[in-house]
Amino acid sequence: MTTATQKQPPASDRHRNSTIRAVLSPWREVPFLGWLLGALAAVMLEHSVGSSLALTLGLRRIPVLFGFELMLKAPQHIPGMLVYLVLVYMLPAALVAVATRGLTNALAARLLQSPALSLAVHLVLLYGCMHFWCALSDYRYLVAQLALIAVMLTLSLNVINGYMGEFSCSHPGFMALGAYAASVLTVLLFVEDDVFGPPLLPPTLGPFLFPLALVAGGLVASLGALAVAIPSFRARGDYLGVITLAFTFVVKSLFENLEIVGGPRGFMNQPNWAGLPTVFVWAVVCVAVINNFVRSTFGKALNAVRDGETAAEAMTINTRRTKTVAFLSAAFWAGVAGGLFAHVVGYINPATFGAQKLAEVLAMVYFGGLNSVIGSIAGGLGLTLFSEMLRPLEVWKWVIIPMLLVLVMTRRPTGLIAFREFDALKLLGPRGRWEGGVQDGTAGG
Amino acid sequence: MTYLLQHVVNALQWGSFYALIALGYSMVYSVLMLFNFAHGDIFMVGAYIGLFVSTGLLLLGTAGAVTLPNWLVLVLTIILGMALTAVVGMLVERVGYRPLRKAPRASAALTGLMIGITFQTLNLALLGAKRRSFPALIETATYQVAGVSITNTKIMIVVISLLLMLALDQFVRRTKWGMAMRAMAVDIFVVPLMGVPINTMAALTFALGSALAAVAGIFFGQAYPVLEPYMGALLGWKAFVAAILGGRGSVLGAALAGFMLGFIEIFVAVVFPSTLRDLIAYSAILLILTFRPYGLFGEPYSARLRL
Amino acid sequence: MALLEVEGMTHYFGGLRAVHNYNLQIQRGEIRGLIGPNGAGKTTIFNLITGIYRPTRGRIVFEGEDIVGLPPHRIAARGIARTFQNMLLWRHMTVLEHVKVAHYARIDYGLVGAFLGTPRRRRQEAEFEERSYELLRMMGVERFANKVITELPYGAQRRVEIARALATEPKLLLLDEPAAGMTPEEMIEMVDTIRRIHSMLGMAIFLIEHRMRVVMDLCETIQTLNFGEVIAEGTPDEIRNDPVVIEAYLGKEVVT
Repeated sequence: MTTATQKQPPASDRHRNSTIRAVLSPWREVPFLGWLLGALAAVMLEHSVGSSLALTLGLRRIPVLFGFELMLKAPQHIPGMLVYLVLVYMLPAALVAVATRGLTNALAARLLQSPALSLAVHLVLLYGCMHFWCALSDYRYLVAQLALIAVMLTLSLNVINGYMGEFSCSHPGFMALGAYAASVLTVLLFVEDDVFGPPLLPPTLGPFLFPLALVAGGLVASLGALAVAIPSFRARGDYLGVITLAFTFVVKSLFENLEIVGGPRGFMNQPNWAGLPTVFVWAVVCVAVINNFVRSTFGKALNAVRDGETAAEAMTINTRRTKTVAFLSAAFWAGVAGGLFAHVVGYINPATFGAQKLAEVLAMVYFGGLNSVIGSIAGGLGLTLFSEMLRPLEVWKWVIIPMLLVLVMTRRPTGLIAFREFDALKLLGPRGRWEGGVQDGTAGG
Repeated sequence: MTYLLQHVVNALQWGSFYALIALGYSMVYSVLMLFNFAHGDIFMVGAYIGLFVSTGLLLLGTAGAVTLPNWLVLVLTIILGMALTAVVGMLVERVGYRPLRKAPRASAALTGLMIGITFQTLNLALLGAKRRSFPALIETATYQVAGVSITNTKIMIVVISLLLMLALDQFVRRTKWGMAMRAMAVDIFVVPLMGVPINTMAALTFALGSALAAVAGIFFGQAYPVLEPYMGALLGWKAFVAAILGGRGSVLGAALAGFMLGFIEIFVAVVFPSTLRDLIAYSAILLILTFRPYGLFGEPYSARLRL
Repeated sequence: MALLEVEGMTHYFGGLRAVHNYNLQIQRGEIRGLIGPNGAGKTTIFNLITGIYRPTRGRIVFEGEDIVGLPPHRIAARGIARTFQNMLLWRHMTVLEHVKVAHYARIDYGLVGAFLGTPRRRRQEAEFEERSYELLRMMGVERFANKVITELPYGAQRRVEIARALATEPKLLLLDEPAAGMTPEEMIEMVDTIRRIHSMLGMAIFLIEHRMRVVMDLCETIQTLNFGEVIAEGTPDEIRNDPVVIEAYLGKEVVT
């Protein structure tokens, strides 16, 4: 919400700046809709000519994650890879985005008259991009699923650590509760299993009742969250941090000792119902709900609790209720994300939900930015993609990523995009000279 | 009865590791109000440094240069290990914590966590996943006291650990530096007024804590001679929890809580199947902190006044 | 019936007696002052009334109901708002958010509204926002509405804090040194502002102040506190001439 105000340049610079502006202005005028269209064009182009172009350029196959993995393995392919990226992604996306900006701006302005419709159109386009991009490779498909789940985890943890300012380490625990609860439900009800026996309900019903299993997983996680929400009334800061940490380890060792769900060996046989569309829809709902929450007066109460509990109480804020709601809702989404994760991977074990997972989620939150929905989206997507891109480095990946994070943290201690309000409708509006045309005139210079 | 006593001895040894590591957490906390989440991995680094120093010294003997008696190798390993690990600790402070002195404390904690992971994976990348065995520097002798078998290693570990804790206690009470550390625990702003620079204090605290962790690492190598990159994370988290249980920056509390945790774990393993050890230990911690939110020996100051 | 009635309130910190047998009656719409040397227990009395501390002994009756033991937010929601001596502002929040969030007790869209954004919520949030702007305008800090609080000059922060307290719709407003740290001009403006909000909103005001000018200008009656006990009570003129007060308090300072 605190965007940098543009200063008037001194007279001497004005001429040079005007040329720069002339070059840049078409780009500035592209609305979000235009970029989506451009991206869609690029991925569809890749869909039709990607593999043949890759062969022509001497690459063995299409670059799966923007060429990183190939570049690291076979540096001689770097020039070919760059040509591929420019020809397939950058040029088409940019050309389409700029060329259609008149059309897309008009369309964006028209769509904005019905915010719901505008959101729907953008989301469909966004999904279209992901769909065509992922259609070319199973690995991409999996990475996209994991990245969206990471966004849910990051955002929900941000509610506690960023918006409410407590250092919670309980997210792997919540995730585990959700993952196991949802898995047990689906396996018990719909799958022929060695331990749980024949399915109790006809498996054809499964995909339709799957959302209910996820919600149940989320609710179990919420219930577990009471174990940290209640101590949070009295303990704050470091002590609460340790309580939440202990919670994660308790949950982990609980599942290690539960033989019925496989103990330390883990639990598998989850049906494959969490396809990309499912994960996408859940992630969108999660972002929408949490964004709604943190922008309401109810949600702002979290910030007040963070910045001064005494003053919050004196200003009629029920701090206990606020904390409970924050922990329980964050746990709910972590639980849903855990359930999705279990069904994406098709296998979970207690070790998945330990200190490593904790470090990952914390890194995403603090890297993306505290108190920011956009930051969490960027942190979740960014770090997941980045860590997959660095996969060819094997062990060194986990030397480079933490060191990079240390670098980021020492430069920007609250993360890259911290303390930013996320107003989807502003993002979706027209740009540049079309901006003024918005009916309600909310857009400013 | 002897059966029980046997476990008391084991618990004392196990508790010594926790206590030595917990002291490092606690000291950094009392001075900087920060948890050094890299500390568990500094313990691991200390153990590996000890491993390399002792193997190196022993190699000198086999190469025919100078043959040192084993006890001297141990003493040198401890001293060199402490010094080198202290340097590592100071490095961690310089790189990860000093730039974040004014940042939100959680950010600093996360930085520490990341440095710890870097240590683990760097170890894995450089030395491979193979477990390394620590050379036995003491000829194990077992004494039978009232039916309880006690090895000289155990005696050494417990006694030296206690002596180090006592020395630390004296250091904190008697010396100028120690007093500055205690003053900082009360009020971080008063110390620069006393003419003690915060940066020096921070470096000193990290160095001291890391040196103690190195001792813990080397002793661990003597008692359980298999080292692996993740050993620090396992013990570190628990020692950290002990430091918290001990109470806000309380050195004595951290040591006591370390031993207590050792006892809980050993005796839980006696009564219950050992797989339940973590579950019960952490559940106990969760309960204790729920009802005593400021630790066992910490000052119960009111959360409402903390503004 | 008095709006607020405190009877025989006593409070100990450990073994230290901070407030002893304190009595107070505030009528609706009245402005009353509380003065006394540093450490006399003035802020402690505010903290006791607003529920931050629980009195060791005594009754606090607000609008005929005993409020001892209620959590602070419940007391605040019943209509006792306050400001703090050292301004407990929320440092990452904007001015508008400060005032908006103080409407918390009146949220009636519930969790469903908070998570799903129902029309009812949209209506109520708009209403909160409108009222917040109104209060900010009343306090003369409307132009800062979208700034983060730490970017504001000190005097403006004090005003935002009062606007925030007003947003809870208090029947009784406790002001803890509203003019502390202000220049004489700012102080005069503050006195005017307090008088204005009093005449516009009509709530009772109970204020602690060190600056005699402020208390003498604003208050109809004044209590003087020393070592946790009321040593004198009366109109500004009576207090000014009371030998006990002069000895305990005014005698040590230059009377302005």
